[in-house]
Amino acid sequence: MKSYPNIPNFYTYSSVNLLLRRCKEPRTVDIEEYITTGGYSALKKALNRFTPEDIIVLVEESTLRGRGGAGFPTGRKWRFAVSNSKPRYLVCNADESEPGTFKDRIIIERDPHLLIEGMIISAYAIGAERGFIYIRGEYPAGAKILENAIKEARERGFLGKNILGTDFSFDISVYRGAGAYICGEETALIESLEGKRGHPRLKPPYPVSEGLFGKPTVVNNVETLANIPIIVTYESYYMNIGPAGYYGPKLFPISGKVNKPGVYELTMDITLRELIDIAGGMKDGKKFKAVFAGALGLYSERDLDIPMDYSPKGFGGTGTTIVLAEDDCIIDSLIVIAEFFHHESCGKCTPCRIGSYELLNILKKFQEGTATEKDLQYLEHLGRNIPVGSICGLGYSAPNALMDALKKFKDEFIAHINKQCPAGVCF
Amino acid sequence: MEYTYLTPEIINKIEEYKKEFLTKEQVIIQALHLIYSKYRDITLDHMLELSNYLEVPLSQIEGIVSFYDMFRVKRNARHHIRVCKNLPCHIMGCKKLIELFEKLTGEERNQESKNGRFYIETVECIGACSVAPAFMIDDDLYDGTKITEEKLNEILSKYT
Repeated sequence: MKSYPNIPNFYTYSSVNLLLRRCKEPRTVDIEEYITTGGYSALKKALNRFTPEDIIVLVEESTLRGRGGAGFPTGRKWRFAVSNSKPRYLVCNADESEPGTFKDRIIIERDPHLLIEGMIISAYAIGAERGFIYIRGEYPAGAKILENAIKEARERGFLGKNILGTDFSFDISVYRGAGAYICGEETALIESLEGKRGHPRLKPPYPVSEGLFGKPTVVNNVETLANIPIIVTYESYYMNIGPAGYYGPKLFPISGKVNKPGVYELTMDITLRELIDIAGGMKDGKKFKAVFAGALGLYSERDLDIPMDYSPKGFGGTGTTIVLAEDDCIIDSLIVIAEFFHHESCGKCTPCRIGSYELLNILKKFQEGTATEKDLQYLEHLGRNIPVGSICGLGYSAPNALMDALKKFKDEFIAHINKQCPAGVCF
Repeated sequence: MEYTYLTPEIINKIEEYKKEFLTKEQVIIQALHLIYSKYRDITLDHMLELSNYLEVPLSQIEGIVSFYDMFRVKRNARHHIRVCKNLPCHIMGCKKLIELFEKLTGEERNQESKNGRFYIETVECIGACSVAPAFMIDDDLYDGTKITEEKLNEILSKYT
């Protein structure tokens, strides 16, 4: 029975004890433990007391937004999907590959049944009979854990035909990706799930009308789906968690130069400054320099009081926070990010494919000390034009950090032109 | 047709996938994982056999192999070391870790293995940023925060 693989020991902290309730220790919670701690009661409640429409209304009222980064209202996405014909598919996006993001793996590896229960309730709400979990290739243990958990759920009648004696049937398959960041983009994910190269599709049509095999498909992030059993359990009490309009728990993966890097479950009224404090403050008492947060944007000391919510001013995104200290170089970090985007660009749109390469080369000139004022202008030009000429989120966000850096850390660029690195990394 | 590379175990598993998934195209990536973990490389012969077995065009399989990072690396060693080089691991000192790996194994990063025991690959984020610099050996993930030469040697000795 207990054939779960070893899983990594990450530090976790939770102020609300909802998503990470069973995730305190580095071990996988099996179905027995899950049920004895209240698991699958939300599913029973949903099937016995609610119609699919009721659940969609609940999710709409909960103000739940996509936790994968884009922050699209989940209820609205479902509403679009149910307006289209059957069959419909439910896909769980477990392809988390954004630098600094490791929140979904905690749920997958430690509490897989929370995700599965969330998927079953979601499928009931949107009228899907088939679901897929697209898990990134770099999580082999996670894939095994999910396969085991699905088997356990099938044996107990939570998955398969006529779930819990109702006329609702649903089943899930685990589908492993193979190391492509772009497959976290929902249309690229669908292409990959169909057994093709992971190239994003031109939108519209959106997946909710034409997705997997041309059928209406809802693609939701792991954390989003894990919120569903909590919403069904708490109903209107869910609105007591967190600030108005951005209710519910949120996972924040914190890494970099803080004392206690790990996954933190908090509410979205928290600011970046508080988040760094909760994470034990700066490592070795070093001075704070900058932070990569949201959709890999770059923020300075002045932005520390922005809340971590999905408002236009907030950080939004996946909740990822990578903290840089005074001895880290902005240019050096931008080069790592640029290398990443150059490597992960799928090559479909020329401005992203070639632009990301150009961007990398010019940034390297700054590190080598051969850059001039002209290169600074060229960087700005590229940063403006790569998003305009791309069709997916990767191209849109590739120059995010660079554009922020040009606004907030221009003196670092000028210093590098003069062959000086304020952090002492480059020369 | 006789299959040299598609062993009975692989074929059994492929048949399971065929029953589970909706189309045969959906099986390709999962089947390639099976082939890759057995042969640590995907050659034209492997792809030809798979194309023949699944009755999908070879070009489609080749397109997939050339697109996905995990199938592209031709590692000729028994064990696969993946060291993350993305931002969180970069600022936490992955360069030193990679150098340490090179010193202890005598291999060079992203280069063909000399004695066939370890292949060192530098990869993008592996989703373990709180234990940065993070690394994986085969399917196992390791914490690189307090790694020393002795500890690393001890870990490596488990992989023969």
